Formats: sequence, structure tokens, C-alpha cells
Amino acid sequence: MTRRLVYLTLTGVLMLTAFPLYFSVVVASQDNSALSHVPPPVLPGANLFENIKRVFDTVPFDQALLNSLIVSGINTASVVLFSTLAGFAFAKLKFKGRTALLLAVVGTMMVPMQLGIIPLFMLITKLEWHDTLLAVTVPALVNAFGVFFMTQYLSEALPTELLEAGRIDGAATHRLFWHVVLPVARPAAAVLGMLTFLNVWNDYLWPLVVLASPENQTVQVALSQLRAGYVQDYSLALTGTMLATLPLLIVFGLLGKQLIGGIMQGAIKG
Amino acid sequence: MRTWLYKADTQLSPYLYISPFFLLFAVFGLFPLGYTAWVSLHDWSLLADEHAFVGLGNYAELLADPYFWNALRNTLSILALSTIPQLILALILAHLVNRPLRARTLWRLGLLLPNVTSVVAVVVIFSQLFGRDFGLINWLLESFGLGRIDWQAGVASSHVAIAAMITWRWTGYNALIFLAAMQAVPKELYESATLDGATAGQQLRKITIPSIRPTIIFVVIVSTIYGLQVFAEPQLFAGGGPNGIIGGPDRQFQTLTLYMYEHGFNRGFEFGYASATAWVMFGLIVLAAAVNYLITRRIRSSR
Amino acid sequence: MRASLRRLLVPIMVTGLLATAACGSDEQPGGNEKITLNVALFGDFGFKPLYEEYSKAHPNVTIKERISDYAAHHQSLISHLATGSGAADIEAVEIGYLSSFTATPNRFHNLLDLGAGSLESQWLPWKWQQGLSTDKKTLIGLGTDVGGMAMCYRTDLFKAAGLPTDRDAVSKLWPTWDEYVATGKKYKAAAPKSYFMEASGNMFRAMVEQASTGVYDNADKLIVDSNPSVKKAWDLTVDAIASDQSAKLAAWTPEWSAAFGKGTFATIVCPAWMTAYIETNAKDAAGKWDIAAVPGGAGSMGGSHLALPKQGKNAQAAYDLIKWLTAPEQQKKIFKATGNFPSTPSLYTDPDLTGFSKPFFNNAPLGKIFTASAQAVQPQHQGPKQGDVFNTIGAGLGRIEQGKQKPDDAWKQVLSDVAKLG
Repeated sequence: MTRRLVYLTLTGVLMLTAFPLYFSVVVASQDNSALSHVPPPVLPGANLFENIKRVFDTVPFDQALLNSLIVSGINTASVVLFSTLAGFAFAKLKFKGRTALLLAVVGTMMVPMQLGIIPLFMLITKLEWHDTLLAVTVPALVNAFGVFFMTQYLSEALPTELLEAGRIDGAATHRLFWHVVLPVARPAAAVLGMLTFLNVWNDYLWPLVVLASPENQTVQVALSQLRAGYVQDYSLALTGTMLATLPLLIVFGLLGKQLIGGIMQGAIKG
Repeated sequence: MRTWLYKADTQLSPYLYISPFFLLFAVFGLFPLGYTAWVSLHDWSLLADEHAFVGLGNYAELLADPYFWNALRNTLSILALSTIPQLILALILAHLVNRPLRARTLWRLGLLLPNVTSVVAVVVIFSQLFGRDFGLINWLLESFGLGRIDWQAGVASSHVAIAAMITWRWTGYNALIFLAAMQAVPKELYESATLDGATAGQQLRKITIPSIRPTIIFVVIVSTIYGLQVFAEPQLFAGGGPNGIIGGPDRQFQTLTLYMYEHGFNRGFEFGYASATAWVMFGLIVLAAAVNYLITRRIRSSR
Repeated sequence: MRASLRRLLVPIMVTGLLATAACGSDEQPGGNEKITLNVALFGDFGFKPLYEEYSKAHPNVTIKERISDYAAHHQSLISHLATGSGAADIEAVEIGYLSSFTATPNRFHNLLDLGAGSLESQWLPWKWQQGLSTDKKTLIGLGTDVGGMAMCYRTDLFKAAGLPTDRDAVSKLWPTWDEYVATGKKYKAAAPKSYFMEASGNMFRAMVEQASTGVYDNADKLIVDSNPSVKKAWDLTVDAIASDQSAKLAAWTPEWSAAFGKGTFATIVCPAWMTAYIETNAKDAAGKWDIAAVPGGAGSMGGSHLALPKQGKNAQAAYDLIKWLTAPEQQKKIFKATGNFPSTPSLYTDPDLTGFSKPFFNNAPLGKIFTASAQAVQPQHQGPKQGDVFNTIGAGLGRIEQGKQKPDDAWKQVLSDVAKLG
């Protein structure tokens, strides 16, 4: 494939993926009736700042953003760390029951959790974590997706010889983890981190059920009050979600180079 | 002493490393699992104080309900329509991005945009695209002299529309996962292949795919699991109202999770019946994942 | 459509509350004990300015409000009721869920025990009864707004089809639903490419709700198969579908919203809160929409109540607050701020309300129309799965609209689906 064709294809893909985001801005900058126009408007209108002001008047954004940042930040760090640890063990260490335990990990992903909300909530109440950020943070500290992902990645990307060489030098397992495994895991860790951050940031139903007080709300819960007003006001709702997306894009944009840099670094080692 | 320490280290470390997951799972995973299993054996309405034990009654009723089988068919059809193109596209995209490019960060972050975008925006956009009277796709069809399609009304057409939503949202996500794995493939393999005159397509098939086989297995299994639990897309496709819960008036796009939700949080809040549904779904997912694993395993390993 | 209507209603009601002015007469300074009351709503009911006013008169009371969307609010409420903790002191309940709670009222405080009995005459009789348990011994909710019905229509489309456009003349076209469908046939004959109604479900629902008994009898037994009013509504709706009057639009989809401005259909059953929806989504169609009476004389669609889950510890303080929020003075403020139609008939002679009109609808006297509609509603017993039954029948009509089934087969399937709900 020629280079030009590659760039052309990628530009097309980028337009496809970015369009809804752009469209959010368009709608956010108009009023609700703009949505009913056929064909829909393609250029932003003049109402953006008024809509932003309305969102800030309705939603206690600062506290919610802070809460979401705390919850997503902690969970991202812990998911990456614990998943890499467990993935390393499953992929490269020998221990009794390994296969069975790995199957159990995968099995836990298969249970439809829509109903889990009720027993989980009973548990949180017993622990007296209701209406605290613990209720949304602790159950998500590590998940099967991350463990399975890291296991599969490391099983291929981490050369067994590298580990054996380390062993011969007398390195303990934890030293191998920090000095051999983590550097190799960087590309996968970067991707897992981004995906985890996104998932936690966008979680809605569970935080809504466990977080009662306005001061404990996460961004998505705070935003929900824009959604079902008297009149379904899409322009306001989309302004709100756009404002909540902005921090994500900034974080990813700023860290993007680092993250991608990390990916490349790992690649060079491989 | 040293050997004793060494032995303790190699034997205990693995358990130590996997313990955070299993500890957390024991607390926050096992209890809900066991609880729903227990509930599924009862006539258990969420708002009633007494719950009669009915044994496997809920399961028998479930398997005798044609709407359950309908939901299963819909789920499998949407799964096939969304997962297969999604994974192929993701592989190709990852392969394209996994090369020296200008503005690399831009392309890679672009893959993630569908997941960053709010669900509300997604719904508005896709309803607009697949709208019956004013939708862009019908407008195109008509200008090519083809008829309009009432996307929501038909079985096949609604599945295609929902699969398109799913594919759009998750292709980039999977591409990023593939990309991470591709980073670990030694670059020399590609260099020597290029010297031998191999095309990009050949490199993808002969080098990339065999080298990232474990990750492909991962993505296939995870997509199967999540695909069988698809919920938000069909619900939102119908405008979010009662038609969303049953997946259209003829249940033409009701998925298994929607079926479970219909019984658990509507219709008298039949938590027992919904729990039985969850457990049957669990069995089906295990089955589907196993089948997919057996298929994917046949990819030739690079080693 | 139905659930979504409900979803909209509650917020509307709430919004109305916003406009509170002076406090009512009912505040006795309670204890000096500090109390925090949590209020959980779906959509913005417009209570916020009212809270401030209330807290001024009750300095020991702090009010915290939590708003989410219709589906998530009720799912969360049900989870909290089931597990016995986590619910707010005050929870909004939409009419679509209310009847399943009145069927098992034990998870809520009985407002009659808290002194609500003497207030009964404040509400429309049917609004009051909706909050009562089946045995009439427990009251779980006080009413906020009601969705009195009218019929909104496009004057330009009526004119093009050779029908009268003046609202009184239009109202005279359809004293009954039979005449409404007959008008639809005339309309279709004159304008075959256009549609008479947006979807058929609302017409069916309005007809059944106007009957003295609906889908349940007074003993909570399902009578869909035996109630002649239900079958008559079904047959007439099927007739309307057969003459291609329905645009078959699914409510709340962007497609549906666009259709208001595009003039895809000529009439829509219009509860009070729907007028705001039309106004926002069809700005360019100002002056083209007008409002006439609904066939059959009356009816209500949507509406909410405020209830107190039993797990709440400050029942008396919470009761005092909802009593104040739902009192006529406050409902009037909400109405003036939001247009949510009050459920307290003492306001129905208030010129502020009866004189209400909107330029968008050619200055149609909305206040007069909706008052007449709300007053004429007959109380009808609502059974535990009321909402699910209507959704099931609505799906049957939808199958006919989409050409999936013949009317007789659809009816058979509706009956067997409804029987399974039982």
C-alpha cells in the first residue's frame, strides 16, 4: 500500500470517529430546534457560551470533576499495577492451579452484572460505604479484563530467556517484575490505563445507586440532571457531556505523546 | 538459607501477585454470584417480603418462553454482525498505524474517540443516520433509486443498524489493544520480509497475526463475552422508551440482557426470574467463549 | 411513548415547583433539631427556589436534591427499596411506576398516619386515589402535576385538506373518537401523502383512560380480554391504522421531533407539558400549531407523586416538606414558571391559570382547555402492572403498524402476553 493511500485511509477513519464529537459541538452551540433540521446543521452556531453557562448554573461541576478525577486516577493506577502483577504470574511463573485459576479469571467476566447491582449494594451497605467514594473505588481496583489482557500480552511479549537470565543472576521475583517485566509491559500498560480511565470516567448507573449526596457525585451522575428535563434538551445535554469530555481529551492529548512514547520504547526493547 | 529463600520466593510470589484480584473478587464478585444463584431458585419479587422457593421453576419457565429464544437468536445475530467486521477492521487499522507515520499520536488517539464521545451524542447521530423519514442513509438510498428502509421495523435491518453502532464504537478500542501487542513484534521480522518483497497484506498474515495470537484470542473472547451482553445500543436505538426494553414492538431486536432487564426492573420486578436468566446467559457465554477459543487457537503460533 | 411521557411529566411537575413565592400557612416551627432531607427526582422539577424559601421558614432543615433521568431514577429507587437502604427521604414516583408501589405499599410511610387525611379535598379526586393502596388504607404519595389532555393540530395541513382551522370548529369535528377517526379518513382522502396522527398508541391509551374501568377491575384483576371499552378502543385504533392515518413514529426519537416542524402529521394527543415540547422542537412552525379539545371529553396522561420511603428517618419533617411543595400556592408558582399543570382544583378558577395562553399556538387558551380536561377525568382504578399492560398492548398496535401481524393475530398475542403478566 502506498504511503498516500495509508494517510488517506487514516484521514477517512479519523473523520468517521471524530464526527460525533464535532457534531456535539455543533449542537451544543445551537438551540434544541437545530437538531430537528434536515439536513442537520454542519457549522457551529452562536449559543455555545450561553449553553455552557446554563450547564455550570445547573451542575456542580468542580466538585464532580474532582471526584471523578480521584476515582478514575486511583482505579487506573491500581488496575494497571495489579493486572500487570497477576498477568506476569499467569503468563510466566509456574504454580499449582495456574490454569484453573486463569480460567476462573476469564469466567468472572462472563457473568452478566446488570443484576449484580442489588447484592453488591447490600454489601456496600453492610460495609457502611454507602455514599462514600470507597463504594465506587474499591470494587473496581482490579478487574478480570485487565488481568486477562496482561496475561495474554506478556505471554507473547515477554521473552522467557530474559527472565531466566535474571534468575541466573540471582534476582528475586519482585526485582524481575520491576526491572524486566514492567519495561516490557509499558505499551500494554499505557493502553490498559487509557481504557480503564475512560471506563471509570463514563460509569453511570452504579455511582448513581451508591452515591447519594451532591458533594459525592461523579461527573456522569452530575450530568444526568441535564438529561431528562421537562423538554428533552439535547443541546444542553450535549454541552454538558462535551464539557465532561474535554478534560479527558486534554489529559490524553498531553499524555498522549508520553503514552505513545512509552509504547515505542517498549517496542525498541522487543 | 539462600535456597530456602529462593524456593519461598518462586513458590509464593505467583500467589502473592494474583491475590489482589482474587481477594477483591472473593468479596465483590462471589457474593453477588452466589446471591443471584440463590435468588434464581425463588419466586422473588423485589418489593415483596416473602419469597417462595420454587426450585428450578424459573429455569423451566424461561426455557419454555419463546421470547427468551427470540432474544437469544437476536443476540447471536447481532454478535455475528458486529464482532466479525469489527475484529477484521481493528486488525487492519492497527496494522496501518503500526508503522512510522507523521502525527502518530493523532491517528492513535483518533481510534479512541468513539469511546470518549458521550452516549447521548452517539444516539443522536445514529438515529439521524438510520432515520426512516429524514435519515442520511435513506436519503442516499433514495438518490440511487433504491427504496427507503424502515431500519427499526425489520429484523435484519435493525440488527444491521445496531451492529453498525457497536462496530463504530468498539473497532478503535480493539485496534488499540492489537496495536499494543504489535509493538512487541520484533521489527527485524518486518525488515527482512520487506527485503524479501513481501506485501503489507502478506506481512499482516504471515508475521503480525501469528505473533500476536494470544492477544487475538483475548480480543475474540472478550468481544464474545461483551457482545452477548449488549444492552445500551439496542435500548437507545429505540429511543429509550418501552420499545427499547422489549426491542421494538415485535421484539425484533430484544437482546438477552434487555430481556433480563425487562423482567428484573419492570413487570413486577421479578428478580428471581431475572437471576435465572442471568445464570442461563452465563452458561451460554461460557459455551460461546469456549467455541471461539477452540477456533482461534488454530491460528498458527509464531513459536 | 408511554413510559417516555411519564418520564417527561415528572420533571415538568417538579419544574413548576420552582416558582415558589411566599410560604404557605402551614409551617409550625418544628423542633430546633438539625435535619437534612434528601430529595431524589427524575429531571428538574423546578423545586430549587422553593427549597430556599422553605429553609428560611425552617432554619433547622437543610434540603439536598439529587436528580437523575427517568429510567435510572426508578431503577435506583427500586434497588434501594428492595435492599432497605439508600433511598432519599423524599422520592418522586412517576405514574407509570406508582401503581406497582401502591400494590405493595409496605415500603413507604403511610401519609394518612402523618396527617394527610384532612388534605384530600385539595386534589382532584382521581389524583388523590392514584396514591392510595388497593385497600385504600395507605396513602403513599401526594400529587404534583397532571397531564390534562387536549388535541394539538396543524392549521396549515387542515386547511390544505379542506378541513376547518378555527379551534372551536375543529373541536366540533370530533366530540367522540369515532368522529375523530372519521375525520382522519376525510383528511387522508384529501391529503393522501400526509398522515393524520403521529402514532396510534396514544389514541388507544387516551380512549381507555377515559373509560370508567380500564385494564384492571377494582379487585386488581386484569380485564383486558373482557372489558368492552378496551376492545372498542382497540378496534377503532386498528381502523385508523388500516386507513393509513398513523405516521408510525416512535416517540422521543430525533425523527419524531423533526416531524413536528416538518408537518409529517396533522394531529397529536397533547397533554399540557407536550405544548412546551412542540414549541421547542418546531420553532419554525410558530402559528401553524393550534389546540382543540380532545375527543371523548377529558383525560390525563402522565403526572407524578412525591413519596416517603419507610427507611427514611425523618418522616414527619419530610411529610411537612412535601405537603408544602404540593400545596396550591406552590403548584401555582411552578405552573407560572414552567407550565406544569397543577393537580389542585382550587386553582382551576384562578385567572392566572385559566387565562393562560401561548402565542406559538395562535394564542390558544391552554389554561381553559386543560382545566376543562383535568376536571372531567373520572377516577379509574389502576392495577399493579398498569404501565406494563399498556406497553404490551402498544407493542401489539406497533406490530400492526409495521405490517408484522394482522389485527386478529396481534390481539391474540396481546391477550396471551397480558395473561403472562398477571
